[in-house]
Amino acid sequence: MENINFVLSGLGGQGILFMTKLLAQSAVNKGLKILVAETHGMAQRGGSVVSHLRVGGVRGSLVRAGSAHILLALEENEAYRNIPFLAKGGKLYANAPKTSFPRKEVRPYLEKIGIECRSIPASDIAVKLAAPMSTNLALLGFFSAFQEGPISYDELKETIAQVSPDRFREINLKVFDKGFEGGSE
Amino acid sequence: MKQKEIFLGNGAIALGLLEAGCQVVTSYPGTPSSEILPEVVRLIKSAGLNTYVEWSTNEKVAFDNAFAAAVSGKRAACCMKQVGLNVAADSLMSAAYIGTTGGFVIISCDDPGPHSSQTEQDTRLMARFAKVPVLDPSSPEEARQMVGVAFDLSEEFQVPVIVRPAIRVCHARENLTWGGLKNNDQKASFEKNPGRWAATPRFRFILHGELNRKLKEIGRRFEKLDPFNFHDLKSGEKYPLGILAGGVPYSVVRDILSDEDRKDIPVLKMCAPHPFPEGLAKEFMSACEKVLVIEETDTVIEYFLRDREKVLGRFSGHIPSEGELVPEVIYGLINKTLEELQMKGLSSEGHESAIELVKGLELPIRKPTLCPGCPHRASFFAIRKARPKAIFTSDIGCYTLGINLGGVDTCLDMGAGITMASGFYHSFAHDQVEQPIVATIGDSTFYHSGPAGLLNAVYNDSRFILVILDNQTTAMTGMQPTPGLGIRADGTKGKTIPLERVVAGCGVDFIETVDPYDLKAMVKLIKKAAEYTSDPAGGVAVIIARHPCVIAYREEAIPQKKEIVVTEDCVECNFCHDWFECPALYKDPDLERTAVDQTLCAQCGVCLEICPKGAIIEA
Ligand code: SF4
Ligand code: SF4
Repeated sequence: MENINFVLSGLGGQGILFMTKLLAQSAVNKGLKILVAETHGMAQRGGSVVSHLRVGGVRGSLVRAGSAHILLALEENEAYRNIPFLAKGGKLYANAPKTSFPRKEVRPYLEKIGIECRSIPASDIAVKLAAPMSTNLALLGFFSAFQEGPISYDELKETIAQVSPDRFREINLKVFDKGFEGGSE
Repeated sequence: MKQKEIFLGNGAIALGLLEAGCQVVTSYPGTPSSEILPEVVRLIKSAGLNTYVEWSTNEKVAFDNAFAAAVSGKRAACCMKQVGLNVAADSLMSAAYIGTTGGFVIISCDDPGPHSSQTEQDTRLMARFAKVPVLDPSSPEEARQMVGVAFDLSEEFQVPVIVRPAIRVCHARENLTWGGLKNNDQKASFEKNPGRWAATPRFRFILHGELNRKLKEIGRRFEKLDPFNFHDLKSGEKYPLGILAGGVPYSVVRDILSDEDRKDIPVLKMCAPHPFPEGLAKEFMSACEKVLVIEETDTVIEYFLRDREKVLGRFSGHIPSEGELVPEVIYGLINKTLEELQMKGLSSEGHESAIELVKGLELPIRKPTLCPGCPHRASFFAIRKARPKAIFTSDIGCYTLGINLGGVDTCLDMGAGITMASGFYHSFAHDQVEQPIVATIGDSTFYHSGPAGLLNAVYNDSRFILVILDNQTTAMTGMQPTPGLGIRADGTKGKTIPLERVVAGCGVDFIETVDPYDLKAMVKLIKKAAEYTSDPAGGVAVIIARHPCVIAYREEAIPQKKEIVVTEDCVECNFCHDWFECPALYKDPDLERTAVDQTLCAQCGVCLEICPKGAIIEA
C-alpha cells in the first residue's frame, strides 16, 4: 500500500487527539504501521491544534507541507490555515456550513491542484444530540461515508466501541452514525 | 506474553527505561518531557514492578536523587525538559567528573520551535559542555533502544549518559511490541571513598583526566555504533554531495530521499554525536565533495567537522539557526543546495503559493488563552483592579497566559516572578521611588524554586505583594500533583506540606488566603496587602489565591453553576475582552454586542462582577 498522510486540525479542547487516536488505532488494528505527531502543552489552551497521522512505512512523524492526502478540520478557519499541507488531488473534510464552504478566495487554488472539498455542520449535529464535545465524532462519521483512505466505516466504528470510556460509548457511536448519515445522503 | 500497543514517544522512553531494569526514576514535569514518568507508573502498575518513582520538587533535586541511587549501584534515571537541565547543570558538571557505579541516564527533552519553552537550546551542547556522552533518537522506537544502550555505556564506563529526544520523538506515537517486563534485583551498596565521592580540587584534576580518557574510549565505540551511527557509502565511490544528519532530521531526510528515489546522495546518520566519532566522519567526508549537515537545534556535529571547505551548514548559512527543521524546511534546503551544486533538483510540489494565499485570508490569530472558568483569570483581574500601576512580575505555567489580560509584564524562568520583584523593588527604592509591584507564581513553581528567592526578599527587606496562584495542581504540563496535595507520583499518599508553612518558614509575616472567584474579597485583600508593604514596619506580603483548576477538578471547581447572559445594556466598550478575556465571551457581529458561547462557558459566574454597565447577568 502507498503511504497515506492525514492532517487533523481544530482548536484546543475540540478533541483532535481523540480523533487522531481513533484513526491510528483502526489502522493498527488491521496491521498497518503508523506514526502520529501531536500538539501538547501551551497550545492546548484554546490555540490552534494540529495533529499528523502517517499510515505506512515512513520514518518521520510530521507530514510535509504539500503532501497530505486528507485534511480533516474541526473548524472552518483551521481548515483554511492548513491548506498548504494538501497534496495535489487531496481531500478536505471540514466542519462548516454545506453551501458557503470553502470561501471564494481559496477556490481557485483548490481547483487548480484538484482538491475535493466536503463539508458538514458537524457541531450542529453534535449539539442536537446533546453532545457538544463530540463534533470530532460527527466529522469522522461524515468522512467515513466516502470510503477515502485505508480505514473503513466499520473499522472506525469498531475502534470507537473499543476505546471509548463506558459512559460515552453509546453517545459516541450515535454521533458518529449521524455524521455518517450526513455523508451518505 | 508480547502485546502490540500504540505508544507515545515518551511512553516508548518509559518502556526503554523499564526494559533496561531501571530501578529509580525521578522527574520534574515540563513539556515535552512530562509524560515519561506517568507512563513509567502506568507500565510498572500493569507489569507489577517495584520500581521507585518520584515527582521531585525540581530538576536538580530529581538529578541528585537519581544520581545517589546510581552511586549505590542501582540503575537510575532522571527525566526533564531541556531548560530543566539548566536547573540541574550544577550537578551535571560535577557528576561527570565523579561518575557513578550503577547506570545513570539523564533524559533531557528538547523543544525546537520552540513550542512550549523559553529557549530552543540544544541539550547535545550541554552534554559536550559537561563532557558526557549523548544519544539523539530519530524515532520513538529508537529512543526506546537507546535508553538500554545508554545504561550499558553508563555502567561500563561509570559515567552519566544523556539521551535527548526532541519534541517530535516525545510527542510522536508509534506502534510497539512489548511484554515480559521484569524487576531488577540489584541491591544498594555504598562503598565509602571520599577521594571520589567527595573529591577535593586536587582529586578533581585527576578525575578530569579519567573522564577525558573515558570519552576517548567511548568516542571510538561511537565509530561503530550501528544502528545509531553509520553511513551508506558504496566503497570506492565518490559523490558530489552527502548529507550528514542526526536525530529527528535524520528521519525526515531519509523519507525525502526515499520518496524522491535519490540513491545518488549518501547519508551519514549520527545519532550518537558526542564524544564525536571522528574516524566515521572523516571516512564520509573523504568520499563526498560537499557535505550538508542537518542537525537540531545547534551546531554540535558541524562544530567538530574540521574541513570547513566541504561543510555546508549553519556556519555557511545553508541551514537556519533558529526554528524547527520541519520537513518542508529540510526539503527546501536540500533542494536549494542541489541547485547551488548544479545537481538534479527535487520534484518541488509548490505549496508556497498556498502559504501566501492563506496569509492573505487574515485568519483569526489563535493565541492560547486561560480556560473558561480558570481561577487565574479572576486573580489577574483582581490584581489589576487593585494595583493598576504596578509592575507585574510573573513566572512559568498556565498563568503566563495572564499576559493576554495585562497581568504579566515579565517572565524569565522558574522562580523569577519573586526574584525579579525584589530586584525591581531595590532598583526603584535606590532612587527613593515607591513602585508598586505584584508578583505571581503558581503553586508547583513556588515549590520548585520559590523559597530561596522569597527568603532572600524577606531577608533583604524588599517590599512587594506576592500572589501564589494555588490551583492545587501542575496544570500546564498535565496535572501532576504538588507537595501541597501530599499525593505522590504513583498515587500513594505522601506528606502534605502546605504553602502557608513554607511561606512562614521563609520569614513572611503577612500570609492571607482568598478564593479568587470572590473578586471583591480579593481586591480588598490586595489593597490591605499593599498598605502592609508600604508600612515601615511591614515587609513582603503573601496572598495565597486558592481555587482548584477547572480542568483537573472538573466536578468540584465550580460548585454553583450559573447560566450567564449578556443583555442589551452592553455598549461594546471592550472592557471585558481587554481585562478579562474569557473565551466564552465573544463579540457577536449580528447582535452588535458581546454574547456568551454556551458550549464554552464553564458557568463559573465570575464575569457577573466585571461589566461596568452591568450587562452580564445571571439568566
Ligand atoms: S488548565 Fe487549569 S490552570 Fe490551566 S488555564 Fe485551564 S483552568 Fe487555568
Ligand atoms: S461564567 Fe463568565 S467568566 Fe465564567 S466561563 Fe462563563 S462567560 Fe466565562
